[in-house]
Amino acid sequence: MNAHLLAGPILLPLAAAALQLLLGERRRGAASALGVLSCVGLLGFALALLAAVGDGTTLVYRIGGWPARFGIVLVADRLSVLMLLLTAVLALALLPGVLGRWRRPGSALQPLAQFLLMGLNGSFLTGDLFNLFVFFEVLLAASYGLALHRPGAQRISAGLHYIAINLLASLLFLVGVSLIFGVTGTLNMAALAQLVPQVQANTRALLHAGAAILGVAFLVKAAMWPLGFWLPRSYAAAPPAVAAMFAVMTKVGVYVLLRLSLLLFGAGAGAASAGFGGDWLLWGGAATVAMGVVGMLGARELGRLAGYNVLVSSGSLLGAIGVGRPAVIAGALAYLVVSTLAVAAFFLLAGLLAPREDAEEVPLLEPYDPGGLALYADEDESRPTLPAPVRLLAGGFLVAALLLAGLPPLSGFLAKFALLAPLAGAGTGATVLFALIVAAGLGTVIAMCRVGIQIFWEGEWVFPPIRTGAVTSVAILLGLCLLLTVLADAPMRYLQATAAQLHAPAAYIRAVLP
Amino acid sequence: MPHDVVPLVLLCLPFAGGVLAWRLRRRQAVTWLAIGVAALALALALAVRPWLAGGAVLRTVVPWLPSLGLDLVLRVDGLAWLFLLLICGIGLLVAVYARYYMPAEDPLGRFYGLLLAFMGAMVGVVTAGNVVQLAFFWELTSLLSFLLIGYWNQGASAREGARTALIVTAGGGLCLFAGVLLLGHIAGSYDLDVILAAGAAIRASALYTPMLVLVALGALTKSAQFPFHFWLPQAMSAPTPVSAFLHSATMVKAGVFLLLRLWPVLAGTEAWFWIIGGAGLASLLLGAAAAVFQQDLKAVLAYSTISHLGLITMLLGLGSALGAVAAIFHIVNHATFKASLFMAAGAVDHETGTRDLRRLGGLRRVMPITATLALVASAAMAGVPLLNGFLSKEMFFAVTLSTHRGVAMDVLVAGLAVLASMFSVIYSLRFAVGVFLGRPRGALPRTPHEPPRWMRLPIGLLVLACVLVGVLPARVIGPTLDLAAGAVLGTALPAFDLAVWHGFTTPLLMSALAFAGGCAAWAGLRGWFAWRETLPLPGRFGAQRLFERVLALVTSSLPRVLEPVYSGRRLQPQLLLIVLAAALAAGLAMYGTPMRFGLRASAVDPAFALLWLLGAVCVVGAVRLAKFHRLAALVLVGGVGLVSCVSFVWLSAPDLAATQLLVEAVTTIVILLGLRWLPKRVAGLSPDPALARWRRYRDGVVAVGAGLGLAALAYAAMLHPVADSASNFYLEKALSEGGGRNVVNVILVDFRGFDTLGEITVLAIVALSVFALLRRFRPAVESVGAPMQQRLQAATREDGYDAGRADYLRIPGLIVQLMAPVIVLFGVHLFLRGHDLPGGGFAAGITVSVALVLLYMARGARWVETRLKVAPLRWIGLGLLLALATGLGALAFGHPFLSSHSRHMTLPLVGELPLASALLFDLGVFGVVVGATSLMLVALAHQSLRRPRPLPDTDAEGG
Amino acid sequence: MELVLALAIGVLGGGGVWLLLRPRTFQVIMGLSLLSYAVNLFIFCVGGLRRGADPVLRAGAALADYTDPLPQALVLTAIVIGFATTALFLVVLLASRGLTGSDHVDGKDGAP
Repeated sequence: MNAHLLAGPILLPLAAAALQLLLGERRRGAASALGVLSCVGLLGFALALLAAVGDGTTLVYRIGGWPARFGIVLVADRLSVLMLLLTAVLALALLPGVLGRWRRPGSALQPLAQFLLMGLNGSFLTGDLFNLFVFFEVLLAASYGLALHRPGAQRISAGLHYIAINLLASLLFLVGVSLIFGVTGTLNMAALAQLVPQVQANTRALLHAGAAILGVAFLVKAAMWPLGFWLPRSYAAAPPAVAAMFAVMTKVGVYVLLRLSLLLFGAGAGAASAGFGGDWLLWGGAATVAMGVVGMLGARELGRLAGYNVLVSSGSLLGAIGVGRPAVIAGALAYLVVSTLAVAAFFLLAGLLAPREDAEEVPLLEPYDPGGLALYADEDESRPTLPAPVRLLAGGFLVAALLLAGLPPLSGFLAKFALLAPLAGAGTGATVLFALIVAAGLGTVIAMCRVGIQIFWEGEWVFPPIRTGAVTSVAILLGLCLLLTVLADAPMRYLQATAAQLHAPAAYIRAVLP
Repeated sequence: MPHDVVPLVLLCLPFAGGVLAWRLRRRQAVTWLAIGVAALALALALAVRPWLAGGAVLRTVVPWLPSLGLDLVLRVDGLAWLFLLLICGIGLLVAVYARYYMPAEDPLGRFYGLLLAFMGAMVGVVTAGNVVQLAFFWELTSLLSFLLIGYWNQGASAREGARTALIVTAGGGLCLFAGVLLLGHIAGSYDLDVILAAGAAIRASALYTPMLVLVALGALTKSAQFPFHFWLPQAMSAPTPVSAFLHSATMVKAGVFLLLRLWPVLAGTEAWFWIIGGAGLASLLLGAAAAVFQQDLKAVLAYSTISHLGLITMLLGLGSALGAVAAIFHIVNHATFKASLFMAAGAVDHETGTRDLRRLGGLRRVMPITATLALVASAAMAGVPLLNGFLSKEMFFAVTLSTHRGVAMDVLVAGLAVLASMFSVIYSLRFAVGVFLGRPRGALPRTPHEPPRWMRLPIGLLVLACVLVGVLPARVIGPTLDLAAGAVLGTALPAFDLAVWHGFTTPLLMSALAFAGGCAAWAGLRGWFAWRETLPLPGRFGAQRLFERVLALVTSSLPRVLEPVYSGRRLQPQLLLIVLAAALAAGLAMYGTPMRFGLRASAVDPAFALLWLLGAVCVVGAVRLAKFHRLAALVLVGGVGLVSCVSFVWLSAPDLAATQLLVEAVTTIVILLGLRWLPKRVAGLSPDPALARWRRYRDGVVAVGAGLGLAALAYAAMLHPVADSASNFYLEKALSEGGGRNVVNVILVDFRGFDTLGEITVLAIVALSVFALLRRFRPAVESVGAPMQQRLQAATREDGYDAGRADYLRIPGLIVQLMAPVIVLFGVHLFLRGHDLPGGGFAAGITVSVALVLLYMARGARWVETRLKVAPLRWIGLGLLLALATGLGALAFGHPFLSSHSRHMTLPLVGELPLASALLFDLGVFGVVVGATSLMLVALAHQSLRRPRPLPDTDAEGG
Repeated sequence: MELVLALAIGVLGGGGVWLLLRPRTFQVIMGLSLLSYAVNLFIFCVGGLRRGADPVLRAGAALADYTDPLPQALVLTAIVIGFATTALFLVVLLASRGLTGSDHVDGKDGAP
């Protein structure tokens, strides 16, 4: 049974979605029950796998029983299980917020959400390059549907861009894959890792070209500068809960880049190919962080603000991958987890504070203007009392802002510490990245401070009615981050082990191709 | 209680109290809780003292993040203990004071909660035995001070003050964070003891200077040192107890505490002298000078705080041991008298309702006790003998005299020191005499009288401390000072004696000079001071304005410039960037590496070349016509599809050909169905022809480049053989284990069946999304004019199906109607043979749905739907489940997912039939394809039947 | 043969890219279809070009008589997925046309 565990995270949501399709519009209650069950089940699978790979074993599942080189294999090591767990947790945390909506008539959200989960888990588990493409398409197709849920003018045009760009990226993906296949004759990642060092000199150029084009495809999805301009707009236009789920979708690109760059172009790839593209990731990531900060400072909508936060986080991650030392990777993974949860929470908060169904009525954030302030004006000391639920939102906003800025006392600080500490004095590029990430922290403080003051202190913001479901989701997400602050050590050890495992791909290859 | 637990309790107690206070509702309860917590903390702090005897250090380690070398280390030594006393002691007094200061209607839960939390954060800072932990609590204090300054956030100045304070101090904190990371990197550990031990190595390191700069940025911002001082005066819009606690006694002292803490490691270098000493001197002078010209009571105190902190910083910057001692001493003294002065100012504000020096006067008549206390305290600030201020100022002078950096430097420093203390005399006089002595100036907002006893008590106690220290320094403060200084300097304590009278010395002379000069200047220029609003220098030294400019630049001007670039509002530039990026990446990746190919080219077949010449023509035509003649372009693109179809046949890929053909057909139908909703195109609408032309050229170049690149890659890829491809394996195993002769199909449903599963999932998803989108689709207003045939139908649409409809399409309709079953049969045939010959579930599915659509086109949607019930979603769901179930079936026999089981059996009529379990899987594929395709086609076809509803309704919700 | 096909792919790709960069949604979708033709041929061709070597097992034929089936399988999957996404894109551009009243990719004429 343990072996079949690997297929679970992919097949369970598929089954759930298919059944929901059969249930149709009539029995929406049953459908949402199915959705909940599947999410819980996913968490169960993830935990079971966690227990299985915790000791460093790499689980392999040969679909159809064909040997790895010819059939498709699913591979679970620490990294993939980490991503599975993150996805499951995120999905489960988002449930309270969306269940209410799911009951609305005419909503294809439920099966689409399940399909999205299937695509995500598939991309994290598959050990086959082309199968990865298929799962990418699954999750992208689902994301199109979700992003275009009940569109208004704003949402539809953002969605149009999103789809066009991703279609182009997928075509690049195919070109890259087929080039790599043409050179090596295999699609299995482990087999590729074996073959890369042995590729003859005269075809290595083609291999590199393929890898580079593939890389561009992933970088588009990871929204690296200058390929990531689409992200803030599309995410801001999507429904908040969907955008929150997308927070992990951007990380798929990061995941694949991390996986492939260390598996195919790690130290063992031979002098010609080792560390291929590392510098590009490093500098591109740095540029992405910079762009994200500028965008954050100028953002006029909460959704955009959240979107630029996504850019900052994926930029930091890409840069860290570019540096590529085990300690840095471990820190980057910690940062990945925390930033994903925090950004998701922030998207939900944005939805709670500024409903953007009608794009025209989005309350705008004012840019900072040093209005001639009357120093020491005698304040009237009567306290205006925000209604209790709004105070709750204010608290959530504060916490999320702290997490995103990496300020104490929350796990955001620890994650930043884990990411920055190994960067200290590790070469020019690392130093630049270090400085940029610190600056990004300050930028986040400035932006969040501006927004928070305008919304909660100036007293002119019109708060929409509070939706308890979404508030619960926010609370869960932020609570998780809080938990990670206190019990930080065990997860950190796991992440360090993960980084170590990634830097020793031999075991992975041996497990897949015995 | 074991002694190593005490610090832990001391740290946790205020936080716990804070949380509790936050929850409490009743003002009384909250107050008592806060006072109790503060008192208990003070008691605990005092209880620690005996364990520190003889320079012992109290260390408590709580494991937190050992995997990153980060543990919660609480380290109490003399210095930390001194600060603990200040924090808890003054915290207690402030807690008492605030109860009476804060407006009666405020429940105070939030206030005391924040105050206690801040106290805990300060405790964390001073007891941190780990530099990262120090930065941690450091940022926490910034955050809490932000919340406390903004406590009365309905006032614009409070918001601005809070914002400025947060950005400056938190920014500094981040610098400090970076600094300590570097420090830890150099020292090899974040543990304070390790770092303190590694002083020499750290000062020698190449990273010393950047690290020092970062740490200094942290300290200077926190202690409001020039040029980061401007946040402090703005922070004065905080409630006065907060000003007294945070912005005079404790938080602003955190900066100098840090400098003291790292003094043994960092001090003594040139860089240290110039950075720290320079900033200190500048703040000392400018702060004092600015304070002289303020008209707001609290502003005077704020600027004088800047100046006194500057004095301390400068003492540290000088780098001499005696300087450190003097710094510690002055920290204590300043905390006592400045806190009392703030409280006094608060009392005045509270009673009179104003803080404007020009309106206040002669208050000693109405509030004698407060007046007396305030006078004594300001005397201490001015450095009058027999008060603590005098002693530390003497020490300061002595230090300035004892450091030697060339005659000019010495004279300059001494002179400036005297000047600064002259200023301090002046503003002390303005504060004390102006407010309390003299006669009242006109009416005040409120009629003042003596504030409540409990508001005076804290002031009294602090003033008492000033006097005691001033009279009996050696007895009162001596041991504590030794302890604290010992913690910083180790065993090498410099000789210093705390006495009121050292005989006639140069320092004494300097004090006398400063005092006399100060009094004279005040007497002479008081009118001018009262009249001036600000310092004769640029207002607040311009630093404030600069800060605002920068902030406005980065948060509004810069984004406004960049927005068009990064907003992603336009699609084409982004697509262009992606194409370019791909080309660039591929080019760079191949650059430099050799390219030689084992030739594998085969002779060019003229027919094939001709075929593709045709193809090329189609492409060019489509490209040229796509804008104005959509239909033609569509047809041409279809032509291209056919050409590639033919070449698939040519190149021995019959399956591809079949699938391509069918997909071609369906795509064309789909687009045809969509075409009518697009608006008419008329030429010459381009807003800016020149720009458009330039874009066209640019894109042309890019396109040609991309095409050539792709061609080159393809050629290269074709010219060398695929290194041991898996093909042989498939060819061998296809029949024996896959149970099929059509290897491609076997791969699809067996070897790589998982891909197919994903592929049909994509189909299902897309169909679902299309369905969801179209059910809310509203055609654009001008394109809803129904075409002729529909207008004809419209007449008869109401009753059932369109019996009386016009005759057009009758005959083709009939033919199609007869053909449809045949086509479906052909589909079934395709399906069954799929495993052995070109065909398969996908092809079959498409065929069937094509039949369905032909019916729709020929007979009209209603006609079809009144006859056969299509429930596409069902088809999709069932198909997916079937495929899934087939795959899972294998699990029952202990095989992995999708393991196939195959057997050929012969049926009558049908002949040999491959009964692989893969066939079932293929059936699932078939179902999904039928469902999905027909769902899309039908949904699109239905649009024409829609009653046009012009505007999109936006009742949608937020997910 | 190879050269011809390579050039064909090049022409398709170039035309596709050019249309992709046009401002009208219909042009973009045409461009995407052209590009997907190009990519399909690209995948197909890396397996090498053979004539009369259909990968359908025949009695008494050696392995060498068949062309590599794997790329063909890949292309099939790619075709299907491409078809699906094209259809979706078409519907989205129709919806965009309906909601924004324009067939410009940015939802409004004369962007930016």
